[in-house]
Amino acid sequence: MALRRQPLSAPRPGDTRPAAQRLAVPLLLLLGLQGAAAAGGPEDSGWLQDAEPSSRLLSQAARAALHFFNFRAASPSALQMLASVLDGRAWVNQKKEYKFDLVFTTEFYSAEEGEKRLGKCSAQVFFRNEKPRPSVNVTCTQLVKKERRQKEDYQLYKLMKQLKSPLNAVSIPDSHGYIAPSLRPIWDLAFLGSSYVMWQKTTPFLHYYMSQISSVKQWKTNDDAIDFDYTVLLHEFSTQEIIPCRIRLVWHPSKPLKVTYHCQERQTPEEASGAEDGSAVAPTGLSNF
Amino acid sequence: MKWILFFGALIGSGICDRETFSGHQVFRINVRNGDEISKLNRLVNSDNLKLDLWKSPSAVGHPADVLVPSFSLREVKSFLEDHGLEYLVAVEDLQIHNEMDNIVKCYPHLASTVEIGHSFENRSMYVLKFSTGEGRQRPAIWLNAGIHAREWISPATAIWTAKKIACDYGKDQAITSILKKMDIFLLPVANPDGYVYTHTHNRLWRKTRSINPGTTCIGTDPNRNWDSKFGEVGASDNPCSEIYHGAHPNSEMEVKSVADFIKNHGKFKCFIDLHNYGQLVMYPYGYTTEKAQDADELDMVAKNTAKALASLSGTQFRVGPIATGIYRASGNTVDWAYDNGIKYAFTFELRDTGHYAFTLPADQIIPTAQETWLGLKTIMEYVQDNI
Repeated sequence: MALRRQPLSAPRPGDTRPAAQRLAVPLLLLLGLQGAAAAGGPEDSGWLQDAEPSSRLLSQAARAALHFFNFRAASPSALQMLASVLDGRAWVNQKKEYKFDLVFTTEFYSAEEGEKRLGKCSAQVFFRNEKPRPSVNVTCTQLVKKERRQKEDYQLYKLMKQLKSPLNAVSIPDSHGYIAPSLRPIWDLAFLGSSYVMWQKTTPFLHYYMSQISSVKQWKTNDDAIDFDYTVLLHEFSTQEIIPCRIRLVWHPSKPLKVTYHCQERQTPEEASGAEDGSAVAPTGLSNF
Repeated sequence: MKWILFFGALIGSGICDRETFSGHQVFRINVRNGDEISKLNRLVNSDNLKLDLWKSPSAVGHPADVLVPSFSLREVKSFLEDHGLEYLVAVEDLQIHNEMDNIVKCYPHLASTVEIGHSFENRSMYVLKFSTGEGRQRPAIWLNAGIHAREWISPATAIWTAKKIACDYGKDQAITSILKKMDIFLLPVANPDGYVYTHTHNRLWRKTRSINPGTTCIGTDPNRNWDSKFGEVGASDNPCSEIYHGAHPNSEMEVKSVADFIKNHGKFKCFIDLHNYGQLVMYPYGYTTEKAQDADELDMVAKNTAKALASLSGTQFRVGPIATGIYRASGNTVDWAYDNGIKYAFTFELRDTGHYAFTLPADQIIPTAQETWLGLKTIMEYVQDNI
């Protein structure tokens, strides 16, 4: 299989988001810090290397890098997920900036039964001042040949184009973890858009998983792009919160992805924690669709 | 495949030969007028469907509960839909309690149910007790599941495990030997109100359903409510938070019931709490990153447990203390157990690592339960040899 390296990098993080105020105390980088002299790290002054970075922390950073990679690759049929971290180093400095150097393996997100291929990525992840939206430098081996990826993206694109608008689908997957095959393209495209959001929101202390799509709408556009509007429920670690995010994305197979989003702010005492915001499952009968 | 059908599948999978409610489901049917009542009666009385009316519609507006065997499911659903009858498939805590009753019925000399208390919404808290001994309190193991409502794989694994224990006793050398020496207590749904709520309203609910005065935010995180460094790190004093620790330790009846039972029993040696997701085997502490006194021993046991977990399907589990394995969290079950003399205190985060997360597909239930069983046995065998 021909492998090609795809270098991608993010711009320096902007100043748009304030650091998350959390009760959860930052862990781990407070353990086992060594002096700069012992570190084999970058020349920048004041970096202290974490002697024993926890695998959890390294996995978090790797996931952030992968969210960014998936977003930039903009290919819903070739999404990758983290398999394991092979090697990782972590540094922090007095300015509360965090830096990670990682090598990790990946798997196909939509792996067919028996199709177990591992990709490999190397990444540098940088968090400025505990803020979200780390800057990422990531290079991954190509899990799928470009031609196959383009073909499958185009098939997905055609499927999406044929769907009626609005879709009026609820809860993907359903309560039982089931995604109907006909709805799989929606999930993949939603995951692609969510990757952007999850990258944007990740901090050294907060990371995300996509739990469920709670509503889907799709608009036709004048041009050929898929204009996709949906609400996704993100699971936030370590607060355990479920964050509803309204995401709007515009996608065409051969073009970069355009995403805008708005996530619900942390609940005030007047809002119950995720109780009544449309993530319910329709109770009648066994089928949801 | 749906989770509700899972219970049928697991019974039919050859674990146990006994006659049980294999694949049966309970339908709750709304009757809005006399015409619908007579339609329902027609349905229930049809010979070939073999339906069992559990609760008859006493009046219009009062739903009927009907037990439907698996071979009639399709026909019953068609009938209801063709005639415009509203129905719900009964929530699974009812089915879980049915399953527990079945185990006791099938294995009366080994299994019994103990009611240890009630939930906030007054649901019974039932524990399965497996014991081969009479009389005095024998050293015991507590298996805890379903404390976080949305982690459905936890009660599902617990029920499978209950059947496995019952069925394998007398056949499998390891479990037979363990039960000769110790009792096993298994609580499949430690948070029944929350569990029901995930079926009826919000699949991603986590906490209990207790009312918090002065706010519309409901519920306390039952895994921050235990009396071990209560209210310290990794918990919130905001009732709207998913990790709200509650007004005071054991404020939640669900937590108090278990804590009181265990304290009164006095001879528990092992406490294992099942959660998902993350694929982790962890031991104390969560409230601090300082090493527990027995951390080295617990780490060794946890590593062997992870090996056993991986031996079936290759599922990789990471091992470590809670504070570094996942995050710092005070007031949790395992810290409490450990600080109250239960040395072998572990918590599992079962499958997966975030792909399906809480909504693990039904086809992963049995593989998850099977691998978890190997992990649980590893711990229980070690405990048996070391008390």
